[in-house]
Formats: sequence, C-alpha cells, structure tokens
Amino acid sequence: MVKLFDTQQLRLINKYAIRDFSRSYKKLWVIASTLFISLLLLSLTFSVKEALNNEITANSKELLGGDIQLSTGIDPLPDLIVDELKTLGVVSTAIELATMVSSIDMAPVFTELRAVDDHYPLYGEIVSSPPGSAEKIFSTTKPMVLINESIQNLLKVKVGDDVLIMGKTFEVAGLVVSVPDIAESAVFGEFAIIGKASYDKFELSSGGSFLDYEYRLKFSNPSNANEQNKIVESIVAYDDTIETRLPGESGQRLGRVIDNFSNFLNLVSVSAMIIAGIGISNTLLSFVNQRNTSIAVKKSIGFSSNFIQLMYFYEIILILITTSIIAYLFGVFSPLLANELLPKSLGIDLQPTVSLIGYLNIFFIGLLVVLIFSIPSLYSISEIKAVALFRNTFQPVSLNFSLKNIVLLFILVVILTTYFVLQTEQKFYTVLYFVAFFITMLIFYGVSRLLISFLKKFHKFSSNGYRIAHRNIIAKKSLAPIMTVSLGIGLTLLLTLSFVANNLKQEISDTIPSMAPDLFFVSIDRDIQPDLESFIKSIDPEVMLEFSPMASASFISLNGTPIEELVSENNRSAWVVRGDRRISWSEKPNPDNPIIEGEWWEPGNENEMFISMDSRAAYDLGMSINDKITLNILGRDVTGTIKNFREVDYRDISINFAIIINKAFANKLPYEYIGTLKSDVSSNDILARVVEQFPNVSAIKVDRILSQVSGVLNKIFIAVTGISLIVIVIGLIVIVSAVLVQTTFRRYNNLIYKILGVDFPTILRAMTIEFVLIYLTLVFFALSVAIAGSYLIVENTLQLTWRFDLGLTLWILLTTALVSFVMILIANKSIFSPKVYPLIRNE
Amino acid sequence: MNAAIQFNNVSLSYGSKVDPVEVLKGINFSVSSEEIVSIIGPSGSGKTSIIMLASGLETATEGSIKINSQEIVGLKENNLSEIRRKNIGIVFQSFYLIPNLTATENVLLSLEANQKYNQEEEAKKLLSEFGLSHRLDHLPSELSGGEQQRVAIARALINKPKIILADEPTGNLDSANSQSMMDLLFEYTKKSKTSLVMVTHDNSIAERCDRIIEIKDGQIV
Ligand SMILES: Nc1ncnc2c1ncn2[C@@H]1O[C@H](COP(=O)(O)OP(=O)(O)OP(=O)(O)O)[C@@H](O)[C@H]1O
Ligand SMILES: [Mg+2]
Repeated sequence: MVKLFDTQQLRLINKYAIRDFSRSYKKLWVIASTLFISLLLLSLTFSVKEALNNEITANSKELLGGDIQLSTGIDPLPDLIVDELKTLGVVSTAIELATMVSSIDMAPVFTELRAVDDHYPLYGEIVSSPPGSAEKIFSTTKPMVLINESIQNLLKVKVGDDVLIMGKTFEVAGLVVSVPDIAESAVFGEFAIIGKASYDKFELSSGGSFLDYEYRLKFSNPSNANEQNKIVESIVAYDDTIETRLPGESGQRLGRVIDNFSNFLNLVSVSAMIIAGIGISNTLLSFVNQRNTSIAVKKSIGFSSNFIQLMYFYEIILILITTSIIAYLFGVFSPLLANELLPKSLGIDLQPTVSLIGYLNIFFIGLLVVLIFSIPSLYSISEIKAVALFRNTFQPVSLNFSLKNIVLLFILVVILTTYFVLQTEQKFYTVLYFVAFFITMLIFYGVSRLLISFLKKFHKFSSNGYRIAHRNIIAKKSLAPIMTVSLGIGLTLLLTLSFVANNLKQEISDTIPSMAPDLFFVSIDRDIQPDLESFIKSIDPEVMLEFSPMASASFISLNGTPIEELVSENNRSAWVVRGDRRISWSEKPNPDNPIIEGEWWEPGNENEMFISMDSRAAYDLGMSINDKITLNILGRDVTGTIKNFREVDYRDISINFAIIINKAFANKLPYEYIGTLKSDVSSNDILARVVEQFPNVSAIKVDRILSQVSGVLNKIFIAVTGISLIVIVIGLIVIVSAVLVQTTFRRYNNLIYKILGVDFPTILRAMTIEFVLIYLTLVFFALSVAIAGSYLIVENTLQLTWRFDLGLTLWILLTTALVSFVMILIANKSIFSPKVYPLIRNE
Repeated sequence: MNAAIQFNNVSLSYGSKVDPVEVLKGINFSVSSEEIVSIIGPSGSGKTSIIMLASGLETATEGSIKINSQEIVGLKENNLSEIRRKNIGIVFQSFYLIPNLTATENVLLSLEANQKYNQEEEAKKLLSEFGLSHRLDHLPSELSGGEQQRVAIARALINKPKIILADEPTGNLDSANSQSMMDLLFEYTKKSKTSLVMVTHDNSIAERCDRIIEIKDGQIV
C-alpha cells in the first residue's frame, strides 16, 4: 500500500519517474506537445485578457477623460451651472458632432469631429504627429485641425494643407494618433479635433441631433471623489436627461467585448485541450502496453498497482508542470506582442503581469484535463497480470471504465465545466457549449463504431486493397475511433465558424449593398429639407430619395417601472432603451415593416401618444400591447401606449426605427430629418455638390461603412479560423501519434502482406481506401453538425438568411483531407522502408 | 513446525463453473525453511501453476496456502504485494529484466520495493560475486542469456527472501551455463538460509535437491 505521506516512497516515485522519463521521453512527445499547444492557447487568452482589463482599470480616468463626465446632448449647460462646477475643479468642455470634411479635389468624408477647449485632455495626452502639433489647434491666429490617418488618406492632404469643415477653412496641423478617451471612429473610421474657440467663432453648430455636449471635471481635491460626485449630481439634478459617467463606466463596453471574445477563446482552448486529452489517453495506453512486461515484473517483485500507477501519473504531472510553466511564460509576455498587433489609435499599452494565481489557473485546468484522460489509461495497469510472466503471453490491456472510474470522471468533468462557468459572464452559453461539445464527441465516437460494425457486416468487395483496408478498420487497434473524434471535432469547429463567417461576409459584400442606399443623410434641418430635396433631384431626376422626420428621445420607464430596473446590461435589445434614441413618426404603417401584433392607429389624435415597437425589441424587453411607455422627448416626460409590434429588418440600412409614434402627436415636437439616397450618379459627386451648397449637411457613405465593418470582421475571422486551425493541428498530432503507436503492429501486418505477394501499390491503395472510408464518415457528421450549428447561429442569433457555399466547403474538406493523409503517410513511412525484412528474424 | 510454504488441499481450475478446466486437484505439501525442493512432471501437469499459487500471483480456487504461516488465499492485491516483497523472490524461465534499466538498477528495484534505499554498493557486490563486475551498467539487451539470468537471480536473492520460487530457471540456457547457474543458486540459497522451490525438466538438477515433488495431471504422485 502506498502511503501518500511516506517521503521515502515519494522520493522513490520521483526517482523512477525521472529515470523513466529521461529514457523514454521520445514516446511522450505527443503528450508534451499537445499539452503545450493547448496550454499556450489558454495562457495567451488569459494573459491578454488580464492585461487588457488591467489597462482599462488602470486608465479608467484617461478613458473617461476626467473624474466625472456629464453629457447634455444637443444643449450646452447653462453658464451658471458650469461656473458652479468650476468651484470643484477644472472643467473641460467638448462638443462632438458628425460633420463633413472636404478638400479641394476629393469628395467630402463623414467625420466625427471633436471640438475641445484647451483644458482637454484632463488626463493622458493627445498623441499627435508631428509631435507637438496638438497644441496648434488652440492657436488664435489661424484655425487648425488635427485629422486622423484615415482622413489624410481619403482626402489626400498633408500637414499644412487646407480642408473645409462646414464651409470654413482649416489648416491641417498634424495627425492625431490617439486620444486617451478612445474614440471609436479614431480607431475604425474618420476622426478630427479642432479647438473649441474655432468652433464658437465659426458657429459650426449644425443644430442637428448628432451633436453632443460633454463636460469633464477634474477635482482640485481628488481625495473624496465620492462626495464630490454627489455634489456634481445634485448640481445637475434639475434635468434628468443629463447623463453622468464615472471612471470605469466608460471602459465597460470595451470590457464586455473583451470578455465575450476571451470567453470564446477559452472555450476553444479547452476544446483543444480535450482533444489533446484524447492523445494523452491513447499515448498513455500504448505506453502502458509497451511496458506490459516491466509492469508485470515490478508487480512480481512486490510493487503494488497503486505504486506503479502513481509513478506514471507523477511522470505526466512532471510533463504538465514543465509545459504549463513554459506555456505560462509565453502567455505572460504575449501582451507585448498584442501591443504590436492592436491598432495604434487605441492608444493601448499592455503590460505583462506575472502572478502565481494566473499560473495556477492554467495549471489547474491542465491538471483536470490530464486527470480525466489519464485515469482510464493508468487504471489499466491494475489489469496487467504478473502471472503472464510464467506463460510468456501478454494480453494488451484497454481503457479501464469501471463504475468507480466513471463516477470519478463524471465528477472531474463537472468540476471542469463549473470552473469555466464560474469565470465567465455567459454562464448559460458556456454550459451549452460544454454539453454540445461532449455530445459531439460522443456522436463522433458512436459514428466510428457504426462504421466498424457496418463494415463488419458488409465486406463484399474482393479487391485486395479494399480487403486490407477493411481489416485495418475493423481491427481491434483501428484508427477509426481516434481519427473520427480528434479530427471530427476540429473539423466541425472549423466548418461551423467558416460557415458563419462566410454568411456574414456575403451579407456585407453582396446582400446589404444591393439593398442599401448609397448615402445616408443625418440631421437635416427641417428648414433646409425641401431645398435639399429639390437640389438633389436637379442633379439626378431619377434619384431614389427618402426623408423621415426624427426626434431624439430617451427611454424612461415601462408601465411606471424605471427601465434600468427591468433590463439587464446583457439583454440583446438593451441598446433600444439605453441613452438617446432617435424616434420617428408616421401616419400609416410602412409596408417594409409588417405588423405582427396589434393594430395601427387611426390618424389625427394629437393629445395622445401611440407607440409602434420593433417586435424583437419588444419581445426581449418583455413588452405587450397596451403597455405604457414613458419617453423623455426634449426634456419632457411623455407617456404613451403601445399599439402594435412591427417586424423590422435592419439589414437594408434604410431608415428604420425601433420606436415609431403617431404623427398627429409628434407634429408638436421640434424635429429634423434623416434621409437616404440611391442613385446611378456617383455618390461622391452628389456628396461633393451637396456639401458645397449645404455645408451643414452630413452624409455617410454606406460603402465606406461596409468596408470598415468588413475590414474588422475579416480580422476577427482570420483570428477565429486560425484558432480553430490550432484545434485541427492538435487533432492531427493525436492522429499521427496514434498511427505511430500502431506502426509496429501494422508494419508486421504489411510485412505479411508483402510476403503473401501483395505489392506496394496495393498497400498504398489499401491505406488510401482506409483513410477515405474513415474521412468520409467523419465528414458526413462534421458537416451535418456544422450546418445545423451555423444555421442556428446565422438564422437565430444574427437573423440573416443562411446560405451554403459549396466551394468553401470543398476547399476546407479537401485541404484538411490532403494534409491529414500526407501526415498519416509520413507517420507510416517506416512501413514502406525495406528495413522491414529484418523483422522476420526477430519475430 | 516452521514451514516456509504450506499447501493444504489446494485446487485450481479455470473457465466457467459449469465446464471447469481442473489444473490442480487437492494438492498437499509443505516446504520447510532452508529446504531445496524441485518440482518435476510432464508438460501441462501443473508445475508452473503451483509456483504461481505459491507466489500469490494466482488465486487458488479451493484450499489454503500459507507463506511463513500466513494464509494468503483470499487476501487483497496490496497485502499480497507486501507478503511477496517481504518473503518471496521469483526467477522466471525468460529472465524478464526490465529493458530500460541497467543490471544494477534491475537488482536495486527489488531492494527499493522493500524500502531499502541507497544500497547500490550492496547490489554491485552481489552482481560482482555472480561474475558480472564488468557488466554492472549494461542494459539487458547488451547481456547474454546466462548473464541475464544471473542478474535475475541476483534480483531475486538481494532481498534475502525466505523463499525463492523458480520456474525452469535454466530452461533457456545451454547445459554448461545451466550447471554454473545452479551452482550459484544452490550456494546462495544455502548461504542465506532460504528455501528454494524450483520447477525443472533436468533430472541431474532435480537430483541435487533435498527433495523432489512429482506432479502428474494436477496431482502429486
Ligand atoms: N488460463 C488457463 N485456462 C485454462 N487452462 C489453463 C490456463 N492456464 C493453464 N492452463 C492449463 O493448466 C495446465 C497446467 O499448466 P502449467 O503451466 O501449470 O503446466 P506445466 O506443468 O508448467 O507445463 P510445462 O512443463 O509445459 O511448463 C495445462 O494443461 C494448461 O493447459
Ligand atoms: Mg511450466
């Protein structure tokens, strides 16, 4: 009996394990390499995520731009209030607006313009090139602007050139590389900064709703921030449309994106690790079988099974410790690499952090996977009988699935799942993923058994190649189960992700452009709308032009309950009730938005507000017909009744509103227009002429947005496919190791075939047939699962129409097949070498 | 009486209860300490089976087997392991050295199983006495059959067990090698006051033993 605390025994185990490892490490490379790759993936994910989160927390004030931020929307704070705020510290005023920037030769570009005073930024700095050019925008002699690289490229301007903003001339002072309070458009789109003085001087305010006043405060006495926050809140308490934000809140959205992505990566890593586990299990079992006699001898000398199991287990733990430390160290320094890969405009500088907890986290997951997959292999040691030494016959042992082991494995799997679930926000999806993963694994295993039993029943072909392949597949040491499971899962993952990616890409590159307008006008003053319309029609009489009235509103409550209490941050439709929402109105239902519940209203009721809701949002937010919604429209709380739900398809990027109210009521509201344009005339030409004539009109070029989106999507997809490729690579290593384990056995068989007169081409043909049979079976199921999975994601989660791409599918399947087959042939190469003949003498 | 091994009415059968293959039927014998006994009999008579039972590696279907007065029938694997490593050394016909351990390490294994650590000198000394001083750090694949068997005997003897069980220890050796091997085995069992139970086909070897047990069809004749 091995007593765990017998130090002498432990020392002995340690000695044996190290001795055994140093003499047979070549046989354990599969365990080491697959463990390493999957641990590395996990470690990279954890480290980069932690570094990003640290960066966000450490720079929460820079990300917000102050100790507290107030947004007042289109109206500035009264001077009195600003003065009151100034008693607490420095106040920086910034105005954000959407506008057009143009140069002499090029079409105007839609830009997020930020006008800042010289206190900006309160924390951090504007990184600009050439250095120091940021100061120039506050110059009083000449209006200057900082533009980002994207504008520079689109307008083909350089430092010192002039650009036009709402008809006024600005000189390009330099390029803005990054701002501390990350502007999304600075990262993905067009972004410019001017001094607030120029903004005021030129009265740039377009008055539209795409304008936001922001006030940031840096307390002169930062020690009791909480109290001062309360004072600030009490100062602006008179207007409940003023939004206050504290440090940490501004990083929330970024934090959530990081969380979701890293959660996905974690799940992929754990899948990779589980496939590595299959390799571990298989390698260990063959390891045990190769050591059959040694184990039997040890038993005959008086070592117990427990001792021997413990020794081999210890050996694997040594491998785990080594690989996990190396993987962890690689992971720790990966943020430095991430810094190089992330867009500079994010202004993010990730720091590597070494922590014991971080390491233990990875080690613990590795330990669980290793335990799960080594238990059935190592317990087979107890089945090795020392009496075989008297009879010189050794039966190969197989995985030990005793009831005790099954219970143990179940508990370990539950611990592993729980451990992941506890670390993530998306608990439901994580559990779902694990369940789906294990079911898929079982399916693949079942499929391989089906193939074997099917072949056992039907073997009607007489070709030699087929007969050999047939025998190999139904043999006890068949490659079929391990190949189906380890390659099947990787392939399923790759196919599913590629299908989803491909559907999204096609949507963006084909479907949306065909439906979407060319230009999207934002915030058109109601006074100029008729002029604008006739001006555009004079350029192109055939133009398809659509204008909708629009007002800004914010969601206050549903049936009297404040909306924040009803809707969680993670709600799919939380965007509808967060912040400022544009609403529109109409007298009749829009044929593109069919009503699916309730009825449209009678026209002409100007004292009551009727509401038509986007049906999906209504469902997500738990609304029903006749519920009361309170909206704040231009500082006034108005309560209306839900009359109907519309099905809204946002894909066409035409004018769609989640909330539509009755026109009679809305006529009293101040409003502006938004519009869409589709024309055969080049949208650049139209845009250039419109902006020249109406400097205050802003329009987004839809193809520009789409190319931005597809650019970002492309990067994500490359990352995601790359990651699922890692899973396939691990699967291939597992298969190759299984092949290597088999070669002795196969070499012998093939030798006999040779002696029997079967020639080399036949053996090659046999291997090809064997591979094709197994591969076709696994592809059939991988494809079914991937189609079902991607269909669900595309149709339900993304709400797009799922389409099948035969070319892509064939490409993936054939490439994977080719690579796998070549790897298997290489692993089998000793079979083809003439050196097999000495075997006859040895056997 | 101080018996090293005591078989009482021991039977061994394989297969199902309905259609059993009876290998041993009602075996009774005992081996006292320091006694050297050989077991002879035709092929398939059950000689190896007796050794397997005595080593505790096989379980008797019926009867009682005592090693050093301790009943071993019905014990759990862990207890059997303990009794085996404290009392018994086994020598196999096919030597069975562990292939990736050197001669010395193979011998040490036996000591270490008994929590005797750092006794490398002891192991080397015994191997040298067996004429293997120039082969101490060789792997089994680098040793001749005779050399391998001497290492195996050293492995069985190093622990000074009360009982050595040997199943045709010279079966894979030529006659010259066989005789020198037997000299070694007899000399050392005498010296360390160990009982020896040995299966052999070689009458000249059997005759050198204190006693001969003959088996036929699973019974002692
Ligand atoms: N697992 C088993 N199942 C059924 N019968 C068995 C089994 N093991 C051994 N036997 C039978 O038991 C009998 C005795 O075997 P044992 O090995 O003890 O013979 P032996 O006397 O050592 O023979 P040999 O001199 O050839 O080594 C044989 O007839 C053999 O066929
Ligand atoms: Mg025998």
